[in-house]
Amino acid sequence: MYQDFKYLISDGVCAIASPVSGDLFTKFCPRFIDGFVVTIELLALSSTLGFLLAVGLVLARMSGHRVLSIPANVFVYCFRGTPLLVQLWIIYFGIGSFGAEGLGPLWAFFKEPWLVGLLVLTLNTSAYVSEILRGGLVNVDKGQAEAAMAIGMSWFQSMRRILLPQAIRIAWPAYGNELVLLMKGSALISTITVLDLMGQTRTIFARNFDLTTYLYATVLYLVLAGLITLFVVAIERRFARNLR
Amino acid sequence: MVETNGAAYLSVEGLHKSFDTLDVIKGVSFSGQEHEVISLLGASGSGKSTILRCINLLEIPTRGTIRIDGEKLPLKQREHGMAISDQKALSAIRARLGMVFQQFNLWVHMTVLENVIEGPIQVLGIPKDEAIAKAEALLDRVGIAHKKDAYPSQLSGGQQQRVAIARTLAMDPKILLFDEPTSALDPEMVGEVLSVMKDLAAEGRTMVVVTHEMAFAREVSDKVIFLHQGKIAEEGTPDQVFGAPQTAECQQFLAKVL
Ligand SMILES: Nc1ncnc2c1ncn2[C@@H]1O[C@H](COP(=O)(O)OP(=O)(O)OP(=O)(O)O)[C@@H](O)[C@H]1O
Ligand SMILES: [Mg+2]
Repeated sequence: MYQDFKYLISDGVCAIASPVSGDLFTKFCPRFIDGFVVTIELLALSSTLGFLLAVGLVLARMSGHRVLSIPANVFVYCFRGTPLLVQLWIIYFGIGSFGAEGLGPLWAFFKEPWLVGLLVLTLNTSAYVSEILRGGLVNVDKGQAEAAMAIGMSWFQSMRRILLPQAIRIAWPAYGNELVLLMKGSALISTITVLDLMGQTRTIFARNFDLTTYLYATVLYLVLAGLITLFVVAIERRFARNLR
Repeated sequence: MVETNGAAYLSVEGLHKSFDTLDVIKGVSFSGQEHEVISLLGASGSGKSTILRCINLLEIPTRGTIRIDGEKLPLKQREHGMAISDQKALSAIRARLGMVFQQFNLWVHMTVLENVIEGPIQVLGIPKDEAIAKAEALLDRVGIAHKKDAYPSQLSGGQQQRVAIARTLAMDPKILLFDEPTSALDPEMVGEVLSVMKDLAAEGRTMVVVTHEMAFAREVSDKVIFLHQGKIAEEGTPDQVFGAPQTAECQQFLAKVL
């Protein structure tokens, strides 16, 4: 079903694009679109999962319980303090080098570059987003939390109902920025053989050595950036209604 | 947990509070009966807010005992000051103490109606339709029913404070705590909030009010407490305290504010 849908989109886009684009794009259009869709899928999944993980991380970090906050802080420190490329290679090539014997049932996961790419993008973005959310939380007016406590909410209730919703609104522009950074960073997963937009671009280039290949990739990345910006601004408008 | 202590509905005994080395409350005791209105007066920095915030444990007292309807606040003595001994009991007690803040503190991401139903649904576990019906009645009472779908930022200060009072009433509190509820308001909005508070006093609510509105304190209070540098300097009926203040501090304070 979903697969058919993707073919349909691909055929449609290519039919529209070919008269107005160059020969190279027309020839490789399905590959470009395929890579484009893989990138979108990875971004949608990793940003959603990463956001959920970030909420858990920020709760752990703010909980005041060292058994929770110390591991969460270490996790965030490590993922924010090292290059995404290093994270990808350590987890894909490093862990992957243990092979089927070393990893047992986990091998099924670590031999799939797409899954490892999703995992690393998710972990990486969750570290940044938890930091963005923490910034939002400390900027929520103290009176908001006091009103929540005064009415008898538990710490977790006040986080869930009052503080996090406001922190997300405050942090939204910074979050929009992180989405764009995640999109650009995602190109690195082509180095572990994932055929995302960048991966497809590289294979297309390897066949024709025509530098305009990268120009088409540039246009597609810009389209993606535009879509992300539209999404971020639309949500921002909704939030603007009710924040002082 | 429950220890009864005579008939006092609210009792504060030997309350001390320090912030680091700064002693702010230095041994305050008072009590109030059900349906009474107690006003706390005093110069800025005398510790009025701190006392109010100790009663619902937004601040943890350094020493002392506080009872609400005979029930002791869940505190245990530690090496340095006290600590909360039972989070569940704390939530339950806070839910029964309504607090109205100087800055209103309505939740900015929720509409007026959402603000009022939040506590009943999340804390008391009341069904949503019931909570809405009750909230609408309360908003009607404070004269804000027509604004129930507005966000706090779309309301005037006086309207926000009336919503905050409705939010507190929705919890059916045993005692209402007001911390200078009109101090952040433009002068023309003070009256609308005070008139709501007068109605609440008239229907027999138990209230502790920190205020600079002397006329209100004199008219509505059953008991007036004057604080000076973290201690009770004078305590009595409004006529006693306003009519014949005994201490020099209280006389000076009243001369300034009246
Ligand atoms: N969180 C805090 N940390 C340190 N000092 C504090 C804190 N809260 C209050 N204080 C100090 O305690 C003293 C009493 O403050 P409090 O707010 O209770 O006074 P108040 O009588 O309510 O004054 P106002 O009329 O200005 O509201 C002040 O000196 C204040 O600076
Ligand atoms: Mg005060």
